[in-house]
Amino acid sequence: MTLGSWLALFVALIGAAEIVRALRQRGLKQERWRRFFRNRTTSWGLGILVFLVIIAIAAPLVAPLDPIKQHDPVHLKNLPPSWTFILGTDVFSRDVWSRVVYGARVSLGIGALGALVAVSLGSLVGAVAGYYGRRVDAVLMRGVDVGLALPRIFILLMAVALWDGLPFVTLALAIGLTSWFGTSRLVRAEVLSLQQRDFVVAARALGAGDGRVIFRHVLPNAAAPIIVSAALGVGNVLLLEASLSFLGIGVAPPRPSWGNMIADGASSLYTAPWTTLFPGLAISLVVMSLNAVADGLRDALDPREEGGAA
Amino acid sequence: MWLVRRLVASVAIIFAVVTFVFILIHVAPGKACMGEPGESADPVECARRAREFALERPLPEQYRRYLVALAQGDFGYSFSLHRPVREALADTIPFTLQLAGAALLLDFLLGLGLGIYQAGRVNRLPDLIIGNVTLFIYSLPTFWLALLLLLVFGEKLGWFPVGGASDPIFCPVVDSAYCVFDRLWHLALPAATLGLVGAAGTARFQRAAMLEVASQDYVRTARAKGVPERRVVLRHQLRNALLSFITRFGLAFPFLLTGAVLIETVFAWPGMGRLAFDAILTRDYALVTATALIASVVVVAGNLLADVLLGIADPRLRVRSGVDAESIAA
Amino acid sequence: MPRRSPFAFIVILAVVTIAGCERRGGCTGQYCGTLVNAAVAEPPTLLPPSTDNVVAGDVGEQLFLKLADVGMSVNTIGDEDFQPLLAQRWEWDGPLTLVFHLDPRARWQDGQPVTAADVEFTFNAYTDSTLGSPFRPKLRRIASVTQRDASTAVFRFHDRYPEMFYDAVYHMRILPAHLLRSVPRDQWKTAPFGRQPIGDGPYRFVGWQAAQSLELGADSTFFLGRPAIRRLIWRFTPNLQVAVQQVIADQADVREQLVTPDNVARARAAPQLAVYPFRGSIYTSLTFNLRANGDTSKPHPIFADRDVRRALTMAVDRASLVKSTLDGLGKVPPGPMSSLLGIWDPEIRQLPYDTAQAARILNAHGWRDHDGDGIRDKNGQPLAFHILVPTTSVLRRQYARLLQEQFRAIGVQADIDELEFSVVNERLGSGKFDTSILSRANDPSPGSGITQIWTRAGFGGSNFGRYSNAEFERLVDLAIAAPTRERARALWRAAMATINADAPGIFLYSLENVAAVHKRFDNVQIRPDSWAALLRTWRIPPDRLIDRDRVER
Repeated sequence: MTLGSWLALFVALIGAAEIVRALRQRGLKQERWRRFFRNRTTSWGLGILVFLVIIAIAAPLVAPLDPIKQHDPVHLKNLPPSWTFILGTDVFSRDVWSRVVYGARVSLGIGALGALVAVSLGSLVGAVAGYYGRRVDAVLMRGVDVGLALPRIFILLMAVALWDGLPFVTLALAIGLTSWFGTSRLVRAEVLSLQQRDFVVAARALGAGDGRVIFRHVLPNAAAPIIVSAALGVGNVLLLEASLSFLGIGVAPPRPSWGNMIADGASSLYTAPWTTLFPGLAISLVVMSLNAVADGLRDALDPREEGGAA
Repeated sequence: MWLVRRLVASVAIIFAVVTFVFILIHVAPGKACMGEPGESADPVECARRAREFALERPLPEQYRRYLVALAQGDFGYSFSLHRPVREALADTIPFTLQLAGAALLLDFLLGLGLGIYQAGRVNRLPDLIIGNVTLFIYSLPTFWLALLLLLVFGEKLGWFPVGGASDPIFCPVVDSAYCVFDRLWHLALPAATLGLVGAAGTARFQRAAMLEVASQDYVRTARAKGVPERRVVLRHQLRNALLSFITRFGLAFPFLLTGAVLIETVFAWPGMGRLAFDAILTRDYALVTATALIASVVVVAGNLLADVLLGIADPRLRVRSGVDAESIAA
Repeated sequence: MPRRSPFAFIVILAVVTIAGCERRGGCTGQYCGTLVNAAVAEPPTLLPPSTDNVVAGDVGEQLFLKLADVGMSVNTIGDEDFQPLLAQRWEWDGPLTLVFHLDPRARWQDGQPVTAADVEFTFNAYTDSTLGSPFRPKLRRIASVTQRDASTAVFRFHDRYPEMFYDAVYHMRILPAHLLRSVPRDQWKTAPFGRQPIGDGPYRFVGWQAAQSLELGADSTFFLGRPAIRRLIWRFTPNLQVAVQQVIADQADVREQLVTPDNVARARAAPQLAVYPFRGSIYTSLTFNLRANGDTSKPHPIFADRDVRRALTMAVDRASLVKSTLDGLGKVPPGPMSSLLGIWDPEIRQLPYDTAQAARILNAHGWRDHDGDGIRDKNGQPLAFHILVPTTSVLRRQYARLLQEQFRAIGVQADIDELEFSVVNERLGSGKFDTSILSRANDPSPGSGITQIWTRAGFGGSNFGRYSNAEFERLVDLAIAAPTRERARALWRAAMATINADAPGIFLYSLENVAAVHKRFDNVQIRPDSWAALLRTWRIPPDRLIDRDRVER
């Protein structure tokens, strides 16, 4: 850790705190934002998330050491935290702090991409099913039933273990493709309840095509469960990726991901606990923050608490 | 009537799942030479085995043969374990049930209790503290928690056994009260890991559900009418929140089946999750398809059970087409 | 509340009493004792010819006898260092005929005597191609085994060589003909006998809970001496770390391989454990595929070139890697061998660690960094390849990462493919790989292993990289046939120097085994080639018995 990177870290911390503070200030004016920030945990969660995203993006600034370089496998392996290696080194004498920071890129990236795929697909299917009803609905929902009956980890294990050495993006896609079923049901339920609302009828009366109605009117009003799903989805995908990497079939070495860092460090759990402790904490922190933010979003967007229509 | 339709749909779903898994495992690249790890991959030997188990026939024909055998109760033969699949499954299912059952018990007792307690003291200090603790535990990766618990309570403190399901020294078979106790003792850590994380989730969910109910009109009315606080809680909140709880119960099983693979690996628990994982890795076709079958049966049965219970508990919710357990759980 | 508490108290008291009663056992004296082994792999069957699973071998040592076995020196030449087991004595009846006289006291555990018919039946089973035993190639130099009478078995060989006796006795465990004759040979792998075996050894089979544990009980009438330890239990834990944790937490007595220096340090720190190092029988190498990846008819664009291979070998600091991963638990081998072999000699000529020379050689052969990306290339082709490693081995995966870094330092790009074991096997068998980190177990005799892996005889078998060198093969053949140990050693040295110069692989480490055994065990004899071979001689002094030794079951 150089002086520059300490400075960058400090700036990131302050930056995150400021961003959250600014959002809160602005939010006090609107009912929804006020509800979002009602719980202090949500603010903290948002702050931690912003901080982690900033350092993930600014990784080279904050972590000057190369995350895959083995500094000296004989003398520098499994060192406890010190001033040179602030989170210590792992079993291959790689800097744990660098790996956590660069691992954030990988893990958050897969989480975001996977959740994006899952939520997009789920929303689309759910909206279409809810909007068209009857036949289309029945067919799509049976498909979703099958998808929900598929033991998810099982299918993922099969997909990932059998087609070995999947690249990053494919892994995220695979996880996303097995995670959309729940979202589709939520969205469908929401859409069903919106079906008969005035704006939909009006839009149809004005001659808007189905696609237009779905995308411009229905989905935005069904946004609440979609947004909450997305927030939770990132957390789930992240945990899944960590599990797969722990089992040895996720992100390939030497690229760091929080899951494979835990797997690498598991054999020296007793003698060098920091190698598994920090990536584990990182995962917990991110998922916790995401859950907190999702809670806040749910409070903010809950239609029951709204005064009236969308 | 509705029940019959659901049953038929359930069977269709299971069928679809099995077909999907069957196709997936057979089209996966790299036909591994079936055998246990350590066996040499002699190409001549591989060819012989492939012929023996008819793996060179076209896929639809293999599928047909599989279904026919299945109808007669023959789950096939496991190459990696050198045993009929049925035997291998029969050995592991009891352990999975034990783990899942104990974890669910802990999950719901603790989770319900905490959720109700929190709802009764909304936004006061106990609620906030428990809320944050459950949030933290719910976000932990289960395998990480498992590693830590095993290290602390198994190795360092020695309060619990380090892995395994039984004590081979005193109790290789359960033939005394002590042995029952021993089994429970081995079950404690793995069940606690799963149960704690589950309980955290349940507590959060229950709290939210009960608070949501609390704000509904009929509860407010009852309170306004001057009905005592306790009665309000017990009769209305609990009963309606219980409905959501029932749905979650039906949906929790499947996760335990296959989500437990990580726990089973860390604790060396001889359950179905680990069996399935090893089978996938060794491309043990019969075993993989059989475990997928069982897993999906459990999922579908769980869904069905949840719907039935809901229907009994609240006639209002008896299913019209479309609305069912899942959408309630939203 | 007050009403419930005495009831709860009584229940708890009852449970505790029951618990307490059960654990106290009555066994005293020198023939008690329970040995719990934290084993990692569960055997698929206990029928010896059907599997080469390590745990099956260890259990087989206790259940079935060989005719004779090697001594602690593991000397495989001649017959002076062998211990009689099933065969009481033997003699040579001509240069190609070996006659064994069976011990009349030997009995199967169902009461039947062990006869020469069993020996003949066993040989026929082991060499039967429908059975497909992994031991079959090792017996190819024996022409036939016949019975002269009920207690005399005659072995006939094709030709004369120094290890005839070793081949006759070491590979086969004698099986009960009267119990196995009726089982069709192609069903031996799944035969019920394999899950409930009946043998003639110092221990009887007691029980096997699938995926949990396997138990053997001492046979008090064993003709070579009653074993002191009454119960042997194998606990199956698929995870090495958990197995080690069990031993450290005093829930198991033995872990025959600790593998990593971390585990050894923990075992030394555990107050109830004693640590026993012994020579290992495994060596590991990064094997180059000399043929094209996926097409064995064409040479490999990178590795067919001997000088490039030599350069890559010189670029790796083997000693540092061993120090880093294994600390004192491994040695750099002077060739494709483990320290178990008598031919181990650090003086054998090997390639030095010299990155400058490696770079010079690569430059001279046109492998330079033309496009400035840090990786050498030639004619647009980068000097990049894949290292194939199975996910099951912690050590090999570690090595893969370390090697990746060492290669990166001289401008060579190595990507790691960590794949599942059966997939790795399949790829190796069909030649679909660039390099792979392979671990081989040595028999006590260098001959068959080396031939199978590094000569033309192994093409389509274990010689995955398809290396062959006529001079090397000539020297190996001479060494195997050498009449004296000294002559053999000299020839092996020459052969090893030849193969080192060719660099068909980088010989990375030879594992020294370290076993952790509970301190209460005495006379812990561990034979390097098979740690469980002498379990029947281990003892526990009566004053050191603990709870689990005293249980009567």
